[in-house]
Amino acid sequence: MSNIIQIEHLNKSFGEVKAVQDLSFRVKEGELFAFLGINGAGKSTTIHIMCGQLAKDSGRIMIDGQDLDKNVDSIKRQLGVVFQSSVLDSALSVYDNLESRAALYGIVGAAFKKRLMELAALLGFEDLLKRAVGKLSGGQRRRIDIARALFHRPKILILDEPTTGLDPQTRKTIWNVIFDLRKNENMTVFLTTHYMEEAAEADYVVILDSGKISAEGTPLELKNAYTGDYITIYGVKEDTVKMLGTDYEQIRDAYRLAVPNTRAATELIVKYPAVFCDYEITKGKMDDVFLAVTGKALEGGAEQ
Amino acid sequence: MRLSLVLIKRNIKLFFKDKGMFFTSLITPAILLVLYATFLGNVYRDSLTSGLPDMLKLSDGIVEGLVGGQLISSILAVSCVTVAFCSNFLMVQDKANGTSKDLRISPVRPAVLSMSYYIATLISTLIICFAATGICLAYVAVAGWYLSLADVFLLFLDILLLVLFGTALSSIINFFLSTQGQISAIGTIISAGYGFICGAYMPISSFGEGLQKAVSFLPGTYGTSLIRNHALQGVFGEMQSQGIPAEIIGELKASLDCSLYFFGNRVELPMMYLILGGATVLLIGIYILLNAFKRETS
Repeated sequence: MSNIIQIEHLNKSFGEVKAVQDLSFRVKEGELFAFLGINGAGKSTTIHIMCGQLAKDSGRIMIDGQDLDKNVDSIKRQLGVVFQSSVLDSALSVYDNLESRAALYGIVGAAFKKRLMELAALLGFEDLLKRAVGKLSGGQRRRIDIARALFHRPKILILDEPTTGLDPQTRKTIWNVIFDLRKNENMTVFLTTHYMEEAAEADYVVILDSGKISAEGTPLELKNAYTGDYITIYGVKEDTVKMLGTDYEQIRDAYRLAVPNTRAATELIVKYPAVFCDYEITKGKMDDVFLAVTGKALEGGAEQ
Repeated sequence: MRLSLVLIKRNIKLFFKDKGMFFTSLITPAILLVLYATFLGNVYRDSLTSGLPDMLKLSDGIVEGLVGGQLISSILAVSCVTVAFCSNFLMVQDKANGTSKDLRISPVRPAVLSMSYYIATLISTLIICFAATGICLAYVAVAGWYLSLADVFLLFLDILLLVLFGTALSSIINFFLSTQGQISAIGTIISAGYGFICGAYMPISSFGEGLQKAVSFLPGTYGTSLIRNHALQGVFGEMQSQGIPAEIIGELKASLDCSLYFFGNRVELPMMYLILGGATVLLIGIYILLNAFKRETS
């Protein structure tokens, strides 16, 4: 897979505040890339620079083989952006909103109507076309935001906290659509999220802290590097668990043991086979990775 | 071209669908109507009749024609600017709620966006002001009609010019605004202040000398005077045909701001057109330059 986004030594300051410091990373074509960090870490600044909304101080950005400094208009055609909060015109209907946004990319008349029907079927909003955007539910509005971002068939979809505040069913629907787009159109997805279970599905993760990369890798690499494994044992007494000589905690109907890695878990099981009749081994979660890397936890859109 | 039309349509629809913006734009004309209905009408009547020599008596029709002409010219002059400002607040609202960010991530040229705001504001303001002119003319027809067809045509031309000016002025001021608070502040200042400085609430001739000189530097003043001239021209003609001395008509014209003076020199109507037109072209030029030199958008 080739690199569709390549950022090298990016810097951006606002007065004394260094929002982005010597940032370098690559995103491969077709992958789901998660860009994590607390509010103010530099995620939005980086996205704004990538979209040509903000001038950088220094560094180089290549998107789809083109230099942002030389081909900003061409690059803009390859980007679809779903902003953190909806920026559509709430007083206008879904149809009017999408008509004005499609025109920005030269999609008008019959081409507009054809693409509208495709997206309405894909995202299930055929019956909402005449409704004012301001009267839609959060989930319905999000689907329209995604339709707006996809209208011009971008190669890269930037999702800035796309599912924050949505109910689980709507989040699932949105992720199903994104999964299909990646599968069928090889679309690259650049995601920022505060939901770590979404980041766990990514192909590659970059964690940003104070404008700098704190950690990067696949979710598995990050979990292996920054968290241990857990063994949950069912149907045993506490005395038995104590005998294993490992840190543990009691949960409702079981005990959870913390071990440094999967090898250590295997060694423990082999050493005490009689204890491990009913058990499961799980890797650490992305929340643990984030906490270990930044010393801060993320939950539901706020720094903890 | 098609893109510009779609954006203009969007902006016009948003203005008329946003009840807050739409009704705010009508506040100043509404204030004038209320003032007129409660006491201003009587003040105008009294000042007209009390200022005349004892042996001279104006007919009720002429008085009503003068008062009506003064009222409609005030309403129309104010509306051309305040409606333009409120309509153009869409530009600021788009910045405040992040919509402009959404528009500018596309490859559309900033100049296309800027001109779409200008043209949409122009059309929205013209729709409202021409509709208001129709209502005002209907009122004059009831109160006392002395207008010729040429006066009506020139009245519409004056309104077109003043709307062009108001739209250009609001485009430049709104260019620097980016929050809802700033919209409220400027909206209040324009709604409350413009009626005074353009001579809609009280004639400029009743201001102190210093203020009169200061106001004579504002191009909008001449727009108000143009509208007032064409709204009252027929009444003055009728007065002349009824044998009222030219000096008295001249004094009346001066007191109603139909004759304006720039440091003692009378400004004729063609010069008023030149000032208003020139100022409009200059403001549009500044607006284009501001957009051209705008670099970082956020």
